[in-house]
Amino acid sequence: MAVRPVVVLPDHRLKVPSRPVGRIDDAARALAADLVDTMRSRPACVGLAAPQIGMGLRAFALDVTGHRKAVSCHGEVVLFDPEIVEAEGSVLAREGCLSVPDLTGDVARAARVVVRGLALDGSTRTLDTDAFEARAVLHELDHLDGLLFLDRVESHDRVFRRKVYR
Amino acid sequence: MVIAVGADRPGIVAAVTGVLVEQGCNLEDTSMTILRGHFTMMLVVALPPGGDPARLAGALAAAADAVDVDVRVLPIGEEVGRSPGGDPWTVSVYGADRPGIVHGVAALLAGLGVNITDLTTRVAGPPEQPVYAMVLEVTVPPGVEAPDLERRLEALAGGLGVECSLHPADADIL
Repeated sequence: MAVRPVVVLPDHRLKVPSRPVGRIDDAARALAADLVDTMRSRPACVGLAAPQIGMGLRAFALDVTGHRKAVSCHGEVVLFDPEIVEAEGSVLAREGCLSVPDLTGDVARAARVVVRGLALDGSTRTLDTDAFEARAVLHELDHLDGLLFLDRVESHDRVFRRKVYR
Repeated sequence: MVIAVGADRPGIVAAVTGVLVEQGCNLEDTSMTILRGHFTMMLVVALPPGGDPARLAGALAAAADAVDVDVRVLPIGEEVGRSPGGDPWTVSVYGADRPGIVHGVAALLAGLGVNITDLTTRVAGPPEQPVYAMVLEVTVPPGVEAPDLERRLEALAGGLGVECSLHPADADIL
């Protein structure tokens, strides 16, 4: 549908918990298309949550295809009203976020997470994810609760300025 | 740049930054931590238009006295060149404490054009058997291969009798 501007700090909308979508109607499908289009428009982006395009609704898009740290990979995923069914393990890795320019931080996330939500066709979908895909799912879920990686940085770890890449 | 050091106690940050607010200064990047019981502050401070470093130093000295802190104001250039580009890696070095660990690692990195962007060291463990731990964030320039760097670091660490590892520190944008 459209590439939307990405909401960045210090915009307070990033800190507001999102409302459930409830029913998959035309508006929900349009939101899904915007999430995917906006995600695809950013080269390094593997996931985007609705609050990041200014929509306070519980939905995210995700695609870790081809990422070197990915083990499980469900391709392009859009999930509405996602909930964690199961989570296990803990892995520390460095994250950045399109909505938090220039900073990165070390965040512990579950090594495996099972998440359940509504798919685009309104059916219930359960995803069993691990490694990088699990991290991405949990990062996007946090956005729906108004949480950024900055809220998860371990006390002893630091926040880093994003390095310049080749 | 404002540098302040004093025996750690509550109220140091409040006292120093209180003066900065009064003087209309803005805090840019800062780093503050406790080193062996000394609270250590490094603050890049933007003076207001027409601000005077000498006047700021005078105001800081009075407030710093009240919390037993030594404070210095060092004028720094507004624009400095960019640090060299490359890939971010983390180097960990740890083992029995002995002189020369930091210098040995830093000299090896400098010789390869690897830039240190962050470095923290800690000495822990009992006094009779201190353990030294150092974590460095480095930028590895194009042309230096990680496996080669790791081999060189391991050889150096072996000579110093310490352990060492290298792992990527690049962040994933989610």
